[in-house]
Amino acid sequence: MSEVSGRIADGSMRGTNGAPVPIDLSVRIYHRLLAAYPGRFRAEYGQHMAQVFRDTCRRDYSRGGLPGMMALWARTSLDLARTTVEEHIERGIEMNREKFVRWSGWALVAGAVLFAAGLIIGNYDSHDMDPIGGADAVYEYGQAAGLVLGQVLFVIGLLGLRAGYARRSGSLGAGLLLLAVIGSVVSLAGLLAMSSLEDGWLVWMGGYLAMTLALAIFGIVAVRRRVFSRWNYAPILAGIGIPLLFGIGMVGVDSLSGSAPEWGSLLAVVLTSAGLILIGYRMQADAGEASQALA
Amino acid sequence: MAEATSPDGFLPLTPAVFHVLLALADGEKHGYAIMQEVEEVTGGKVHMGPGTLYGSIKRMLAAGLIEESDDRPDPTLDDERRRYYRQTGLGRKVLREEAERMAELTALARRKHVLAGIGSRSILT
Repeated sequence: MSEVSGRIADGSMRGTNGAPVPIDLSVRIYHRLLAAYPGRFRAEYGQHMAQVFRDTCRRDYSRGGLPGMMALWARTSLDLARTTVEEHIERGIEMNREKFVRWSGWALVAGAVLFAAGLIIGNYDSHDMDPIGGADAVYEYGQAAGLVLGQVLFVIGLLGLRAGYARRSGSLGAGLLLLAVIGSVVSLAGLLAMSSLEDGWLVWMGGYLAMTLALAIFGIVAVRRRVFSRWNYAPILAGIGIPLLFGIGMVGVDSLSGSAPEWGSLLAVVLTSAGLILIGYRMQADAGEASQALA
Repeated sequence: MAEATSPDGFLPLTPAVFHVLLALADGEKHGYAIMQEVEEVTGGKVHMGPGTLYGSIKRMLAAGLIEESDDRPDPTLDDERRRYYRQTGLGRKVLREEAERMAELTALARRKHVLAGIGSRSILT
């Protein structure tokens, strides 16, 4: 054994940090290897992992010398290989989730615009009980396309809303978001069945009412728990109009005179759409920021 | 894991999460102290590397099983850059339920004489 290797083995040769060379060298190598972890994980825990590794090096070197260090490196290499893969997979899942939330946010915005457009175009259909076609076919097809496409996009948007925000909404908030998703699916089914099922419109309205009511109550949870980074009142805005309209209808819409029912309906549609657009925009903005942080 | 709000939703725990919760059962500890305790209580059978340790800590923080602590047992004796962790109320419940689940399994194995040594001892006594 040469003089240098002998001094390394007995620990009398010191590195730049004053620690024996095997420890100093191991810590430097481990620092370099930490680059294999995703950036966010490394920034959060890299320094602490290096500190734990340094402490373990000191202990194992004092207990077992160079063979002890070799055993530590064998264990650490396996740990590194396994956990870097795990962290990268987890980061990939998170990034895909954020991407889905982002796109579903845009789906909610587009759905709100299309749905409102469908309802407004439908107002120009002078014979709303006649079969589709004839002189007012443009309005009828426009209404059907707007409502169906809008409702499909609502389902996608609300699935994204649940995927992105259920975790921070607590069990009540997560349950309400699930109810909103179910409501949107029932509403879509009712809409599609309307041409073949006499009471299809009842299913559509029931689903729509459940969806908006769940959103309105979720809005209260969102305000209390600050679920979104901003505009936590948006779900209340999106959800309050239709249930209020139903409530007034049940009390007695006939008591309202003149064009009040039409104005009430229009206001409810505008409120719902504005709220959904705000939620969708916030979803894509929050997900965009989260993706940047994950990168 | 993060969406589970009742202790049952977290079970069964991974060995790493169980050992970290168990190490924190008698007070807050920093990463290296957790690692040392896991090695000690398992007689050196379980070695937790820094990646496993901090990967578990990250997930447990996100799930609300543990939290960071600002307290230091004795600031003069310790490096203030170290992060200390402690169990949350949820973490305590999850650990207890996991321990009960494992105890039930052990009792079942004993009844079936799977644990030969322990089983034969109980027959003799």
